[in-house]
Formats: sequence, structure tokens, C-alpha cells
Amino acid sequence: MVKFTKEMKEALRVPGKGGSLIYLCTSSRDGKPNIAAMRFVATHMDDKILIADMFLLKTKANIKENPNVAVTICHPLDEGRWWVFRGKAVDMEYGFPRDFDWYGANATDILNEWGNWNKAEPPDEVPPDIVFPKAVQRGVVVVHVEEVYSIKPGHTGEKIL
Amino acid sequence: MQVHLTGRMKAWIEAMGCHLCVATPEGVPSVVLGRYAEVRGDDEVAFALAADEVGVIAPVIAENPRVAFGVSRQGGIRAAYQFKGAGEILRSGDLFDAVAAQAKEEKGIDAAAVLHVRLTELYCTKPGYEAGQRLDGMTPDELNTWERQRWKDVPRKRD
Repeated sequence: MVKFTKEMKEALRVPGKGGSLIYLCTSSRDGKPNIAAMRFVATHMDDKILIADMFLLKTKANIKENPNVAVTICHPLDEGRWWVFRGKAVDMEYGFPRDFDWYGANATDILNEWGNWNKAEPPDEVPPDIVFPKAVQRGVVVVHVEEVYSIKPGHTGEKIL
Repeated sequence: MQVHLTGRMKAWIEAMGCHLCVATPEGVPSVVLGRYAEVRGDDEVAFALAADEVGVIAPVIAENPRVAFGVSRQGGIRAAYQFKGAGEILRSGDLFDAVAAQAKEEKGIDAAAVLHVRLTELYCTKPGYEAGQRLDGMTPDELNTWERQRWKDVPRKRD
């Protein structure tokens, strides 16, 4: 059973609060991989990663047919954040049954706290030529992390948690 | 469709390296770093991989050659692209020798293998209405124009 370290929890926050830009890696059910950078990230409980569903397309389609995902730090990499979090994801969209549960994470709790993420943690650090003009959130991706492995050079693939 | 990497894309890939994503035929994804990247043409990129890195992805690629990658570090936001193609693990030959030697010289990497990716798909990942837009249908001129209207910054190569 995974329990995030303090360093992991500090890293898995929005970049403007000292966190990280992350890559969310998904796959179609027949093994076509997809990798997309995400800015809105947080932890929940000791083993869940939350990611805003704002502009997800292929990522969303993949998660709907195959919950297996990997999350890793894209930037910054030079602060010891050499982790890959592997687990199972669901996209808790508006309209989910209020009592929907994903490995202990409740849809009502998640959407109440993280359902208007752009207002709670606006992307002030995102450059003007990249930032989106209007954020429309459709839900929150909840990743239940089952294992963590390293991508530190010389230690790639070693199980951490 | 045919992929034509722009000069700016090539610069970002080579300056920052990439996060490489593969998946088993059953759809379980894995990711490793491609710390040294060398663009070998408009639609080919080679990554030097150390023994631990290739140890993670070689068994997967042996069963399923599909690879997706994005630029590492600031490139995750500044180089808002996703590249997809078919990967091959090389452990010998001219391409392996050339890429491994350069990776050793530039980054001190002892390459156990080279991942050679032939690109077949290119996507914009800029947040907003252009997220997910396919770019591999554009001609090189169209793509250069499209990109210059959005970004011009080119990073310096990292040590």
C-alpha cells in the first residue's frame, strides 16, 4: 500500500505553489500510449493524485476504456523529483452519482473541493502565450496510486513505494 | 500522414530531452527519460538510453513498438507538442555507435541502447481550443508558419 512522502506531496501541487508540471501517461485498451502535460495537480489522502479535467481529449478517452495510468514529474526534474506513480484512474465528471467511490475517494468530496480549480489556484505563473483564455472544467481525474518507481538516472525502474 | 519537425521542435527536443511513454499490448503504460535526444531527420529521433532505462522499456517495445513522447523540463509547457511513432531498440550498428558516442561526449551517458523512433503523428498540446489538434497533415511551410505565429523561442542546449 502506497503512502506518499512529504516530498512527494510538496511536488504534486500546482507549479505556482512550489509544485510541478506533470506528465499524465495513458494508453488505449490495445496499447497505444499517450502523454500530456498537466498543470492542475494535487494529492488527496495518502495515495491519490488529482488532476483537473479541462482540456482532456485522448487522455479522457483512454481513461474511459482503460484505467491504467502513469504520472511523472516533467518540470522541475533537478530537485529529486525522479518518480513515476502508477495506478488506476477515473475521471469524476459532473453528474457522477454523489456517493461514487474510487478506492476510498468520494465524488462529492472531490468535486466540492476541486471542481472549480481555476478559481482556487489560477494559472498566474503560466506564460501569456501559453495560458488558456477561459478554463472550463468538466471534472477531476483521480489516480489511485498502487506503486511508485524511480526514473533517477542509474536507478530507473527501481521500486520506491 | 507525414511528420515534418520544425527547427524549433528539433531544438527543444535536443535541448531538453524527452519523457518517453510506452505501453504493453494490454495498455499498461511506463515512462522513462530520454536524456540525450538526437533528431536524425524530419521524422526521426534517436534517444541514448542507459542500461537501467532500456531495461524498463525494451521488454515492452519488443511486444508493442508504439511510443509517445513529450519534451522534458520547461519543454512540457513551452514546446506544447506530443510526438508519436514506432520505436526500435538498437544495441549495435552505425546509428547506435554515432548516437552513443555523442551522448557520452555531451552528457556522459553510457548508452546500452538507442531508441530510434520513426514519427507518424504530431499533435499540439497547447491548453485550450488547439489542444489535441493534429499537425502532421500540414506541409513543412504550413507548419512553420503556424508555429511562428505562436512561438519563436528556442532554448539553449543543456549540459
